[in-house]
Amino acid sequence: MRNTWVILKREYLERVRTRTFLVLTLLAPAFMTALMILPAKLATMGEQREHIVIVASSQQLGDNIRRQLWAEPLISEENEDNGAKPKPEDHYTIDVDTTATEAERTALRDKIAAREIDGFLWLTDEAIATHAVSWDGREMAGSREESWIGDAVNRVLQQQELTRKGLTAAQSDELLKPVKIETFRIDNGRETKSSGSGRFLEIIVMVMLIYVAVLLYGISVMRSVLEEKTSRIIEVLLSSASSTELMTGKLLGVGAVGLTQIVAWTVMAGVIALPSLASQPNFSELQLSPLVMVSFALYFLLGYLLFSTMYAAIGAIATTEQEGQQLQFIIVIPLVLSVFMLSPVIRTPDSAAVVWMSMIPFFSPIVMYARIVVQTPPLWQIGLSLALMVATIAGLVVLCARIYRIGVLIYGKRPNLPEIMKWLKYAKA
Amino acid sequence: MSSVQSPVAPPSNSAPHSVAEDTVQLTGVRKCYDEFVAVADLTLTIHPGGIYGLLGPNGAGKTSTIRMLMGITIPDAGQITVFGEPLGRAHMDQFGYLPEERGLYKKMKVLDHLVFLGQLKGLSSTEATKRANSWCERFEFSSWVGKKIEELSKGMQQKVQFIGAILHDPRLIIMDEPFTGLDPANAVALKDVLLEMAKSGKTILLSTHRMDQVERLCQSICLINHGRAVLEGDLNQIKAGYGRQNIQIKYDGDARFLQEKRLVQSFNDYGNYVEVRLAPGADSQELLRLASSHARLDRFEVMEPSLEEIFIDVVGKSNA
Repeated sequence: MRNTWVILKREYLERVRTRTFLVLTLLAPAFMTALMILPAKLATMGEQREHIVIVASSQQLGDNIRRQLWAEPLISEENEDNGAKPKPEDHYTIDVDTTATEAERTALRDKIAAREIDGFLWLTDEAIATHAVSWDGREMAGSREESWIGDAVNRVLQQQELTRKGLTAAQSDELLKPVKIETFRIDNGRETKSSGSGRFLEIIVMVMLIYVAVLLYGISVMRSVLEEKTSRIIEVLLSSASSTELMTGKLLGVGAVGLTQIVAWTVMAGVIALPSLASQPNFSELQLSPLVMVSFALYFLLGYLLFSTMYAAIGAIATTEQEGQQLQFIIVIPLVLSVFMLSPVIRTPDSAAVVWMSMIPFFSPIVMYARIVVQTPPLWQIGLSLALMVATIAGLVVLCARIYRIGVLIYGKRPNLPEIMKWLKYAKA
Repeated sequence: MSSVQSPVAPPSNSAPHSVAEDTVQLTGVRKCYDEFVAVADLTLTIHPGGIYGLLGPNGAGKTSTIRMLMGITIPDAGQITVFGEPLGRAHMDQFGYLPEERGLYKKMKVLDHLVFLGQLKGLSSTEATKRANSWCERFEFSSWVGKKIEELSKGMQQKVQFIGAILHDPRLIIMDEPFTGLDPANAVALKDVLLEMAKSGKTILLSTHRMDQVERLCQSICLINHGRAVLEGDLNQIKAGYGRQNIQIKYDGDARFLQEKRLVQSFNDYGNYVEVRLAPGADSQELLRLASSHARLDRFEVMEPSLEEIFIDVVGKSNA
């Protein structure tokens, strides 16, 4: 107990005093903030006013389309559901052209090439009759423009048709009014408005944090185990403490570093980041529930400990750092697989495959957390996955401790699997 | 230097132990690594107090023996008792260990490192700090306590490691080749500390293949070869048992007396003098008469056998 504590303290202080810790503590929140703000900023940056032309056989049709386009707000992924919808007038200049000749069409194409206009809509009576309405643009129309223009054309043509069949403008408007679907998420019986993109962000933050923490600190655990073996300080340590005490102390120390990091980030988020984030349109969507926040801390810590323990095991087996790096795939593969699984997890969070995967300790930190974020799974499943993770960590610590103790006697060559198995049996004595 | 109060004078918190109780007792200890037998049926006794030399050629099983004694590895067979009890974890705090291969955390500061090692042995942080500072003063590198280990020379690192091994005032101190890598001045300083501790009642196990050190420092020895004790006991008794077979002769003139096979088994010419090994049963006085009849003698001295000779003799026999 005393030895574990002494080792824990050393491991903790030696890490917290490093520059890596300081940099990660400061940079991660900055990085996260950038991750939330940048995409929105990038999307609106560099957008210029575009000039488009509607070629119609009659001025009235052209005007109607233009009116409809002005009335229809631009819809995009990022600004879905929030008040600040960009008005088309701010982004587009729309002219109506009634010279519906082939010569005009060629002239307009030349204008596009000369960058005088950005695109034109070919909407002559003939084109309508033969379903040959077309859009020529300098750039491929984005899905946003495509649906914006397409919706407007359909709406106007349908209205025209309905009016011709004798309905009043008000009647046809009523008939054509689209049904809007709003998304809700039932969370512990409470109804919260949600959107997929906000949820996804929470999961990505988790993935990034685990990945960064595991790569930075996990490798440092591997290095320190290797250092103890190659510098032979292991002999002095083992003459004072048992290998289990050493490993437990080391990993708890490393875990305490992770905990410190989380606390530091939380405090920083509260003090610095929140006011600026709160002004971001996306932020209101995050709506972190207590369950999500608690599970974030738990899954981050346990995941980080689990992968660090695996790194310690690699450090115990490998004889040089290069060898250790080669063995890293054991850790990277579950992380990468978890990320690949994210899309099915988000779509079908309670399918059997996803449920079972979320129980496997090496996938739990990301997959189970993602399930919790998307749709609260039964509590027993959360509990079981946490218990399995703790048990795996404890088992790995014992395993590592044994390999580590035998490490005293290793010179040179890395042991192969049968040899490791033999050691484990031998070390039981 | 002399004004510094020696930290060795023990404010010992360990209970006084009876003299009859052996410090270490190994009985029939055996250790194999796969097919290789590192220690085969080793039996030895270390009495309390003084310096005990564990001697042997490279690969004889010295380090394997020490590792078992330190609880790092576990014997396949046999028994180890310490202070009269079977060896257990609880004894570790009373052991000080300087392994053959030195190892320290390179990035740690000297004082932090010493305090860490002291705490692992049960010292409080303040007590460990106090003792570490006092020892650093004694070894004259107080100005280095704030430096990182990696900034120190090899010799200084070794001193740090040595202090780390004795900081907690252990009853049994195990030193595996403690003098290698030290310059003569530091080797003397280290030797002085070891002798001081031995005088104050500590037991020191000195493992080395350097005969001269053992000859000067140890009261008892155990010579091991191929994992077995081939010679064990009080150094003076061992030497007495080997008789006085060696003669150093400084002469001027005819050296034919050296060829007398009846008296001279072998000789070794060192330039300034020759060292002669008498043939079994030969009388040294007869050689003296023969030599003086041939040459002019400056010196004729019957020598105690050196440990080196005993070593070579015994190892040669046990290998045969």
